[in-house]
Amino acid sequence: MGTTVTHAPAMEGLSQDSEPRHGPVKPARPAALKRRRRRENLAGYLFMSPWIAGFLLLTAGPMVASLYFAFTDYNLFDAPKWIGLDNFSEMFGDPRWRHSVQVTLWYVVVGTPLKLLAALGVALLLAQSRRGQAFYRAAFYAPSLIGASVSVAIVWKAIFSDDAVVDRTQKIFGINVGGWTGDPDMIIYSLVALTVWQFGAPMVIFLAGLKQVPRELYEAAEVDGAGKMRRFWNITLPMISPVLFFNVLLETIHSFQIFSSAYIVGGGAGSNACGPADGSMVYTCYLYVQGFENSRMGLASAMAWLLLIAVALVTAVLFWSQKRWVHYEEGAR
Amino acid sequence: MVNGRNVERRTVLKAAGATAATLGLAATTGCGGDGGTSADGTVTIRYAWWGAEDRAQRINKTIALFEKKYPKIKVKTDFQPYLDFWKKFNTQASGGNPPDVFQNAIGFLRKYDAKNVLLDLSEQAKAGNLRMEGFRAGLEKFGEIDGKLLGVPVGSNSMALVIDKPVYTRAGVKPEQGWTWDDFEAGMKKIRDKTGRAGDSGMYGTMYLYDLYLRQNGKAFFTEDGLGFTEADLTDWWTRARKGVEEGLYSDPKKVAQIKPKSALAAELSAGEYTWDNFTVRYTSEGKSEYGLAPIPTTDGKKTGQYLGSLMLSASKRTQHPKEVAQFIDFMVHDPEVAKIMGYDRGVPATQAQFDAYKPTDPVNQAIAAYEESLVKAGVLEPITPHPNGADICESAFLRIAEEMGLGKRSVAEAVKQFFNESKTALGT
Repeated sequence: MGTTVTHAPAMEGLSQDSEPRHGPVKPARPAALKRRRRRENLAGYLFMSPWIAGFLLLTAGPMVASLYFAFTDYNLFDAPKWIGLDNFSEMFGDPRWRHSVQVTLWYVVVGTPLKLLAALGVALLLAQSRRGQAFYRAAFYAPSLIGASVSVAIVWKAIFSDDAVVDRTQKIFGINVGGWTGDPDMIIYSLVALTVWQFGAPMVIFLAGLKQVPRELYEAAEVDGAGKMRRFWNITLPMISPVLFFNVLLETIHSFQIFSSAYIVGGGAGSNACGPADGSMVYTCYLYVQGFENSRMGLASAMAWLLLIAVALVTAVLFWSQKRWVHYEEGAR
Repeated sequence: MVNGRNVERRTVLKAAGATAATLGLAATTGCGGDGGTSADGTVTIRYAWWGAEDRAQRINKTIALFEKKYPKIKVKTDFQPYLDFWKKFNTQASGGNPPDVFQNAIGFLRKYDAKNVLLDLSEQAKAGNLRMEGFRAGLEKFGEIDGKLLGVPVGSNSMALVIDKPVYTRAGVKPEQGWTWDDFEAGMKKIRDKTGRAGDSGMYGTMYLYDLYLRQNGKAFFTEDGLGFTEADLTDWWTRARKGVEEGLYSDPKKVAQIKPKSALAAELSAGEYTWDNFTVRYTSEGKSEYGLAPIPTTDGKKTGQYLGSLMLSASKRTQHPKEVAQFIDFMVHDPEVAKIMGYDRGVPATQAQFDAYKPTDPVNQAIAAYEESLVKAGVLEPITPHPNGADICESAFLRIAEEMGLGKRSVAEAVKQFFNESKTALGT
């Protein structure tokens, strides 16, 4: 593309309209065409207008408002009062806030790699053709389809609560720690287990990546006497590294935003919304508590913006790091 | 869209139509702001309350009765569990759309008064739409703050010690009106040694009990604008709690957290639990044992510090139908039929007429009635201490931090410091 299109005579009538930019007709009727183009654009904008209105009203507007609230003391009832950076300095001095940051970081650092490992492991198994392959793929993907829903979190809570399946199974093996969801030290593990269990989405992406690795590389390596592990480390991993990067990026961002599962699994387990002794108090959970329980919308907005900045930074670092470990095929970048 | 102006125009029009339709739809659903009055003069008021299914059924019956007596007033209800209720209420109230009438409690009166949400019902009382006579034990004063009538009590309740009767009997502990904290502690040791069960499930986090203890010592949890006790007071209370946990007098806090939402008493983790007397019903349905009500221990052998707490009905300042709301509240607190339907669900009825109308026949409710009457007879009831704006946040912080302290996640000193820090923020002091 990019070169001037020469019109075949037979297409004259059609292409005048559809490709006015390059046609020799352009200088002939500029005014009429402009009008037509404007009208087409208008139609486009009109079709888009529900979305644009939605974006402005429900996304852009609230974001601007939230940025303003981040620098105010706002309790929903009284007018927001400008307090500059006080919200931010209050956060850093609040041990509960620091605790929520710790819990979140722990969750991201432990949960994300485990989830990706599970996804990659299962993808490797499912990449080989075998009987009932379609069934297995569907079965492993199903949890992440339903995983986002509140109902799964409720089921999870039921599984890990006191005297439920997990607790009873533990007791068979003589481990008596009681239910995980009510235990301030264990509840976070049940959340990690929940996210690992929902490995379906990255698994599908890994599967697609694995399918792209050229067979002849393995054949050549095999001829050279490379074993299975060797082939994995030296062929599979480098070849799927762009997909791996994509998954790491997506899942990391996703993990930072954990809310509903923590809120539901932790809710009612202790004396507050975020688990016993704040055991499952991830960052967004504390944000919610400050905003909706303590009516401190200004502080909650400040927390939200700080999370956005933190996630942006982590993303930037990941992008920067990809030079070192992500291999793109020549020109594919 | 490729050729022909007509087609193009049609697409534009279609798109415009679709957009207009979407926006139009949003507009019609967005604001149905007619104030709830329909053409024939029927008024609709919204009534929100917290609770669960059982209460919902009872309340629906009372509303059916109300609508029969006041055919020009329709009542729309909305309910959630306690915590969710306040989140929703907060959001609605801040958006200028609170329910016309709603269930309320002492910890929220000043908070929402300060935010200009509550209607002063005294005007309606003067106009005769709301009778403020016939209340038991001075309860009509309960919702009055700074001369404004911000809530009308529907029922009363008081703190009590709910006990597992067979366990107390086996241990040979007999709680009596006027027993002291030393008696109580000795009793718990007996229970632990003779039955192997902890005596209590962890009273150190119950704000309302600590309030009683403070009142017995001439202080109170809250003053009008802040906390009525010092860091040293709380250090003392929680140090004893910590010791109690370590010695097995209080049940293992971890276990208590794990079995939630079931209560520790019903789960047989403890022989007793401090709570509101009308909650006793819950233990009987949850647990297998027989439960009874024991008096609150005292410091000097007389004063328990007790007062009648209460659920109230409050109205929104923005309601377009103050008269109808007042009539509704009046009906709910005075009508004898309502008492027969509600029972002791929201505490013992606040008015004498309703109290007389419902005489419980089951042992649990009979015990509650007997307990409240014994309090009146013993003459231990006092006026309530005020709760400042922000009290609700202090209460949940108190519960949470006490739990963390009990679990050993915080030292007593840290817990006390954290509580005072959070309270300062919440109370704005």
